[in-house]
Amino acid sequence: MIKKADLTAYKCRACGHVMYPRHDRCLNCNGREFDKIEPQGKARLLTYTILNELPWGIDERGRVIGIVEFENGVRATGLVLTEEPKVGMKLAATMQPVRVISGIKTYGLAFEPTK
Amino acid sequence: MPFERHEYKSLMDLLAVASLRAMDDAGLGDRPVDAVYVGNMASGLFNHQVSVASALVDRLSLMPATAERIENGPASGGSAIKNGFLAVAAGFADVVLVAGGEKMRGVSGPRSTDIVSAMAQPDVEYIYGVTLPALAGMFARLYMDKFRITPEHLAMVTIKNHNNGALNPYAHIQMIVTLEGILTHPQAKFNNPVVADPLRLYDCCPVSDGAAAVILTTEEIARQLKKPLVKIAGIGQATDTHALQERSDPTDLKAVSCAAERAFAMAGLTPKDVDVAELHDAFTILEIAESEHCGFFEKGEGARALAAGETQITGSLPINPSGGLKARGHPVGATGVAQVVELVWQLRGEAGKRQVKDPEVGFAVNFGGFGNNVVATVVRREG
Repeated sequence: MIKKADLTAYKCRACGHVMYPRHDRCLNCNGREFDKIEPQGKARLLTYTILNELPWGIDERGRVIGIVEFENGVRATGLVLTEEPKVGMKLAATMQPVRVISGIKTYGLAFEPTK
Repeated sequence: MPFERHEYKSLMDLLAVASLRAMDDAGLGDRPVDAVYVGNMASGLFNHQVSVASALVDRLSLMPATAERIENGPASGGSAIKNGFLAVAAGFADVVLVAGGEKMRGVSGPRSTDIVSAMAQPDVEYIYGVTLPALAGMFARLYMDKFRITPEHLAMVTIKNHNNGALNPYAHIQMIVTLEGILTHPQAKFNNPVVADPLRLYDCCPVSDGAAAVILTTEEIARQLKKPLVKIAGIGQATDTHALQERSDPTDLKAVSCAAERAFAMAGLTPKDVDVAELHDAFTILEIAESEHCGFFEKGEGARALAAGETQITGSLPINPSGGLKARGHPVGATGVAQVVELVWQLRGEAGKRQVKDPEVGFAVNFGGFGNNVVATVVRREG
């Protein structure tokens, strides 16, 4: 099942630094108070790999994994659902099952090409 | 005993053999060992055994020595040496055994990959199937683009380190490879398939079983032992963000630069003083990137120096005369100790066919996680 991406990132109240995942102190200024923010706009692919040797529990080859940046600075790692990834390409975020961990289907970010 | 797939040896067998060799090499005799530090990443997951330092003390009859296992991912060995160094420097112990070891091949390849991947950020990396080669692949794509590094440059690291490993009786892979065989021949892709694009099989270190050990002691006792003296002149360690995505410039290995600067500062030396270096080439791109981040070459100059032969055993700065992780192998907890063992052999002139000409200062960098916890060590021959 494909779900809407519901990623929560954190913006430091003191300095505005954007973090994902959450930290207990700001990576930039050590502040401890954060506002929850959602990623805005499209995601841009910063880098990727095509992984042929996957760990135990993921029975596939050629999984594309990448790091993206949204228009408001939120960065995230996730699956890239194309066989022709290109740095700089625009992507839309979805949530899909990405891995079965201890028998539980785990949802994560999966990015689809968009215009 | 070389790093390889040791089907009939347990982790404890490997650690015990390396430890006895180090004790005998140092000429300890019946002199008591005060403290034991064992660098090991994941014996609980690979071998279903924990408290391995206590077990090693028992195997070697070193009771009542103090004993701890030191875990810092693939830099567990470097961290174990740092802890041994601190114990001697603090006056807590006079004679310290530091052993590093890992037995990774008792589980299947995909299981081993999963265990190693457990060091990735659990919520934002691991769940996607991110492995260490995946992180290295994403890093390599950016680094190669930024500094115009080509697949030919990566293959040069492979070829050099396999040539060196073929001269090292302790190396996991003692086999030379050619540019044709891994890159340029139309069928090279069958020898050298893509693991984590742009990285291929021969860009990645093997998964190995193995152990290495050193004895650390005070200068006073070292002089009584009548072995050529090698001093730990400086140790530096530094950390960086857990997830690669949170580094403002993902091509900047800040922890490597910081650890190296700290080690050189403690030693009162500079990168120019180094005669031989063991860098953490778990992936070929890392040897090039670390050679720059440690200060041996300017950013963007590492590949040029490699291509010019400067990092060959006969070059101006030999890098990985042992064969590096690429050819010596990478039993994760052993690597940081094995790097220092190689430097000691080099500084003593005991490195056989891979001997660098008359080195005085050696340098090692042991890269934990994907560069989020790095240990650098400077060693120096003492007259």
